[in-house]
Amino acid sequence: MNEERHPEPGTKLLVALVGNPNCGKTSLFNALTGSRHHVGNWPGVTVEKRSGAFELDGLQIEVVDLPGIYSLSARSEDERIAAAFVVDPSVDLIVNVLDASNLERNLYLTTQLLELNKPMILALNMVDDAEKQGTSIDLPKLQELLDAPLVPTVGNRGEGVAALRKTIAEARRGQRPPCARVDYGADIEEELRKIEEQIGRDEVLAGGHPASPTALKLLERSPEAEQRLRASHARRAIEGQVRASAAFLEHHLGADCPTLVSERRYGFTHGLVLEVIQTATGDRRGLTERLDALLTNRWLGFPIFFAVMMAVYIATFVIGSYPQGWISAGISWLHDTAAAYLPPGELANLLVEGIIPGVGAVVVFVPVIMILMGCISFLEDTGYMSRAAFIMDRLMHLMGLHGKSFIPLVMGTGCNTPCIQATRTIESRSDRLITILVAPLISCSARLQVYICVAGAFFAPLHAAFVIIGLHVLGFTLAMLMGKALRMTLFRSAVAPFVMELPPYRMPMLRTTAIHMWEKGRVFLVRAGTVIFAGAVLIWFLSHYPGIANQAWSAEHQRSVEAVLAQKLPAEQEAERIEELDLAHQSRIMNSSLAARFGKVLQPLFAPILDPGHRRAEAWKDGVALTAGFAAKEIVVGTLGVVYQSRTESPGKEEGLSPLQKTLRVRSGLTPLTALAFLVFILIYTPCLGTVGMTLKETRSWAWTGFSVAYGLALGWLLSWLLVVVGRMLGFQ
Amino acid sequence: MPHCTVRLSDLNPGEAGSVARVEAKGPIRQRLLEMGFVRGERLEVVKVAPLGDPMEIVIKGYHLSLRREESTCILVVQKDLPDAPEERSA
Repeated sequence: MNEERHPEPGTKLLVALVGNPNCGKTSLFNALTGSRHHVGNWPGVTVEKRSGAFELDGLQIEVVDLPGIYSLSARSEDERIAAAFVVDPSVDLIVNVLDASNLERNLYLTTQLLELNKPMILALNMVDDAEKQGTSIDLPKLQELLDAPLVPTVGNRGEGVAALRKTIAEARRGQRPPCARVDYGADIEEELRKIEEQIGRDEVLAGGHPASPTALKLLERSPEAEQRLRASHARRAIEGQVRASAAFLEHHLGADCPTLVSERRYGFTHGLVLEVIQTATGDRRGLTERLDALLTNRWLGFPIFFAVMMAVYIATFVIGSYPQGWISAGISWLHDTAAAYLPPGELANLLVEGIIPGVGAVVVFVPVIMILMGCISFLEDTGYMSRAAFIMDRLMHLMGLHGKSFIPLVMGTGCNTPCIQATRTIESRSDRLITILVAPLISCSARLQVYICVAGAFFAPLHAAFVIIGLHVLGFTLAMLMGKALRMTLFRSAVAPFVMELPPYRMPMLRTTAIHMWEKGRVFLVRAGTVIFAGAVLIWFLSHYPGIANQAWSAEHQRSVEAVLAQKLPAEQEAERIEELDLAHQSRIMNSSLAARFGKVLQPLFAPILDPGHRRAEAWKDGVALTAGFAAKEIVVGTLGVVYQSRTESPGKEEGLSPLQKTLRVRSGLTPLTALAFLVFILIYTPCLGTVGMTLKETRSWAWTGFSVAYGLALGWLLSWLLVVVGRMLGFQ
Repeated sequence: MPHCTVRLSDLNPGEAGSVARVEAKGPIRQRLLEMGFVRGERLEVVKVAPLGDPMEIVIKGYHLSLRREESTCILVVQKDLPDAPEERSA
């Protein structure tokens, strides 16, 4: 028992912050802990774990921000985490955050927390909102009725935070757990006592958790309690008693036990609210109602929503392209400087062509991620996100997705990587996973560069435009079909209810948004960044070895360059010759590299798509570009340039094809049909290492990440192959 | 006037009722109970989303969005709004 504890000054106190979603818990957490945050993950799951600390009276107080939950019934992932954490013996104190403007439903969770028999403090948050609604709450009375210290707070303005800190620190002087309990009525209490008696026969089950909540959970048929029971040696006796009690209660009280228990709890909170709330009349949700009349209006809802989406898109990908441009410029300056000053060799090449672009590939995402996550955090804190989901849900539900999947998918047209991170707003794990898995099918701006290059080479300008639009449409269609297919197969059993609160509109704190942006950027660099970087270096290795280590080739290249220099040609001509020689050298390395060997091994696999007539000896070169394109799609064009030994830039004239496009058209042996198949494959297979890294970070599962990559490759191959087969049947070559 | 039990999904915006029974099973049932759908609780339909689904309702003083799948599982005893005294044409 905690009651007699008198820890020495300087000892630690572990505090769990628990509350409903939208109760302002996060801003209270930020205010409590200042800037001392740590963001991690709960072990084994995708839910973020935020913890922070502060010091008072020589006491180290660690605060853990639990996911926002409506109940401890442990049915969703969030609830399981919270339910497991609050009963953990290491937690010294529970701080239950309550939204004062929505007290009755918030107190439901409190009734469950009271039964845990742990010291507890109530933080009555957003008291300003309640006052604005004309609600006055009798604080001393509420404190007395719940038998726990109560602190009024306004988390986003920092009001009451000092008092809350002080109350938390005082708890070390051995605060006793509150005595208030829901009275379940004589019949239920009697049955609970009988079940507790049976639980008492198993000291493991009785010792680990307080008996009373366990008995209640068994009556409520909580899967978590039933699972714990399965390990008990007294399982038969307990199960028998639970079944008998449930049958008795259902018969006598006219409803099943989950209903009865919920009714009693709500009866308790309703009674409390009647006693402590003085005036609950008046214009309760004036501003929110007026805004909703506009924002979810039958006719105006969609135009406003699309305008908001457009604004977020522009902020992320248009404004974000400036810092991205600076970062790219910085990286290429670093690249050029290193290339100029380092003595040529394998190590220098690793640094110049492997590591620097690898780091660049990671940091270049940071601005878009921070801006997009900032916008989403802002929209979520205002309450608009739920409205967006409300108006879009019908459409998204048809594709097996959630209303909240829409915004991430649209953002995917800019870049898939932040799009996958943006799925964080979707509460249900199955909805989130499906969205993450279909997101890579949304054609991003990097793939557009490949479409422009290849479609431009093989089709007349107008037809090329149709091809590019068609590829985008194909991506969206496939995302829809895949969503539906995944929902009907792998996620068939995991139906999450769409019971979504539409919280009142609130002005978010810019500080909260800023903290959120910073955290997202940092977490991306640390977690996804390592995967992207490792992948970029690996792909550098595959596409440069063993040629890069070939001394004879380097010497030969060096001699040719010197020979050109010795000719004393005019500067322009000389530069051009040297560039050609460099390209030839790179091409030689690339075309003898592991990636090229890999491409040749893959040739039989790609032949049905890219070489259906078996006339192209060089079809493996496309395989090299596709292998390199695994790192990022913008690399495909550059790699095609190197493997076909052709410059990618346009020859200065506005019209006409670039040398690479001419080469592709004339020398590569690709036909319009196989070029189209190549593009379809580009659309569908893994977009880049960034998405792979982000998928791994967000799913916390190599299995799902592997699945995402594997189905992309399989689907891409299948559709390209179908395209070629059908195309040839129709007489195209 | 006679009270009749209808499904929540059959209520129109502006209509109100009180919860009679939740027919859903498993986690959905538990979630609905926790969100306040207990017997006798008063609720009101605020609006239906522009595409016809989901619907927005008020229960226990807060706003909630429910899909048709869930709202058909909830039986309500329909009654007219106390603050809408004017006769509705049938």
